[in-house]
Amino acid sequence: MIFENMGFYFREALLSFRRSALMSMATILSITTILIIVGVFLLISINSSLFLKNLESQLEIVIYLEDNISKAELNNLKDNITSIGGIKEVKFVSKEEAYQRLLKNLGEQKDILSAIEVNPLPASFEIQVKDPKLIEQIANQIAEFKKVEEVEYGQEIAEKLLNFTYIFRRAGMLVLALLVFASILIISNIIKITVYARRNEIEIMSLAGATSWFIKWPFIIEGFLQGFISAILSIIILYNLYFFATNKVHQVIPFLPLVVDNMDLLPIGIAIVLLGSFVGILGSMFSVGKYLDV
Amino acid sequence: MIRMFHVHKNYPNKIQALRDINIHIKKGEFVFLIGPTGAGKSTFLKLVYRGIVPTKGQVIVDGINIARLKPGYIPYLRRNIGIVFQDFKLLYDRTVYENISFGLKAIGATNFEIRQQVKKVLNLVGLEHKKKTKPHLLSGGEQQKLCIARAIANEPLILLTDEPTGNLDPSTSWEIMKLLFHINIRGTTIIMASHDKLMIDKAKKRVVRLERGRIIEDTQRGIY
Ligand SMILES: Nc1ncnc2c1ncn2[C@@H]1O[C@H](COP(=O)(O)OP(=O)(O)O)[C@@H](O)[C@H]1O
Ligand SMILES: [Mg+2]
Repeated sequence: MIFENMGFYFREALLSFRRSALMSMATILSITTILIIVGVFLLISINSSLFLKNLESQLEIVIYLEDNISKAELNNLKDNITSIGGIKEVKFVSKEEAYQRLLKNLGEQKDILSAIEVNPLPASFEIQVKDPKLIEQIANQIAEFKKVEEVEYGQEIAEKLLNFTYIFRRAGMLVLALLVFASILIISNIIKITVYARRNEIEIMSLAGATSWFIKWPFIIEGFLQGFISAILSIIILYNLYFFATNKVHQVIPFLPLVVDNMDLLPIGIAIVLLGSFVGILGSMFSVGKYLDV
Repeated sequence: MIRMFHVHKNYPNKIQALRDINIHIKKGEFVFLIGPTGAGKSTFLKLVYRGIVPTKGQVIVDGINIARLKPGYIPYLRRNIGIVFQDFKLLYDRTVYENISFGLKAIGATNFEIRQQVKKVLNLVGLEHKKKTKPHLLSGGEQQKLCIARAIANEPLILLTDEPTGNLDPSTSWEIMKLLFHINIRGTTIIMASHDKLMIDKAKKRVVRLERGRIIEDTQRGIY
């Protein structure tokens, strides 16, 4: 039954698109605007998320070793550290390397060091963890190992940063939820207007003895088309605006991490298409339902 | 064809539009439903096509109890009932032809059936030559004829008409009446709500008189 009539439904949907071209265009433009706003927010949030991740990944644990550590003990210690879960990278910095780094950092002022005869700097491990939240726990665990002089991980900064990123992410999610909710309301109301304009036809069909699905299908298809076309339009506009904007930003701040990979942007496109099409379909279905009980 | 047993209809604003209605309308009858404005005529017709359900009592249409009818079956009840509304309910952005074909499409008629039926009913009401006209260019009488043509296009068992001669001059009204008699003679049961004294007296059909929601008279070959 449904598939037999699909041709009719599509023809009716397209017909009504043509019949009220101005109305359809206004509808599509309105929905496109809403979807662009959602899209801009999504782009901002994936970029902030990347930025936060970058910040977090700069957190590391530095372990200063006792000077009398033997080669065997060193290897043993390294094995012990890597066997802790959640370690991303362990890098050994020897006494000599530490000295060279200091020289480099001092630059012009490196003469200060000439007064000192022995290298006072300890060897160290620099450790990056997979999940910054585990940094304290891992640091405490390492502090227990033998030949470890001192463990440092910028405790206060780490705590503050993690607190900040936590709140920022939660707030972002809340705003996103509200925005999606609002956009669903607005889009379904826009669709409601297009259905309202055709309430007479709905009433006449119902009184003539059309089944409710027969009446609903053309509207569902029309709602889907309006949502889908709006989604595609807003993606095209967003895509161009976004690359224009990221280029401009990179001209000013070249090393700012920005999401520019198409594959990373794809989920946003999919989200917009789903939002547009689903709300289009559901919005028209519910609106028609209202005028059906004559 | 239509039976009502102790039917009451109250609207949400506590208006008792119909009170204790009992009636039997047989297949092929022509019945005038008369009474002043607000007597409950339109409400009576709405009950028949299940635009509303009774507050109390039973309405049986073609053997079906409309209050117990599941929503999914309402369309099939309505395919047996043609309705001519007081306010026409025409689609003014479609042609005469399309106004009729629209309803037929809505119940899944084939293109062949649609062409046949539209031609037939347009001939019957005498609007064949205006099939490409939009309704707002038709006279009141022609619009009424279009409504009738649309209502009978799928050959229903019952035709309900709500004050079809309300705003027409006597000669056009009589034309409409003759059209309805013609449809009635072909076997369609017709209920016509009206307070058009002239037409009712001339027609000499069964008259059911409503007053403040009650039937106060039911006469074969009655007058207003
Ligand atoms: N949908 C409705 N809601 C509330 N009251 C209504 C509604 N329809 C009709 N009525 C009231 O019910 C009574 C009967 O109305 P109606 O059946 O339209 O009478 P008639 O068609 O004889 O003029 C009137 O008092 C009218 O105001
Ligand atoms: Mg009335």
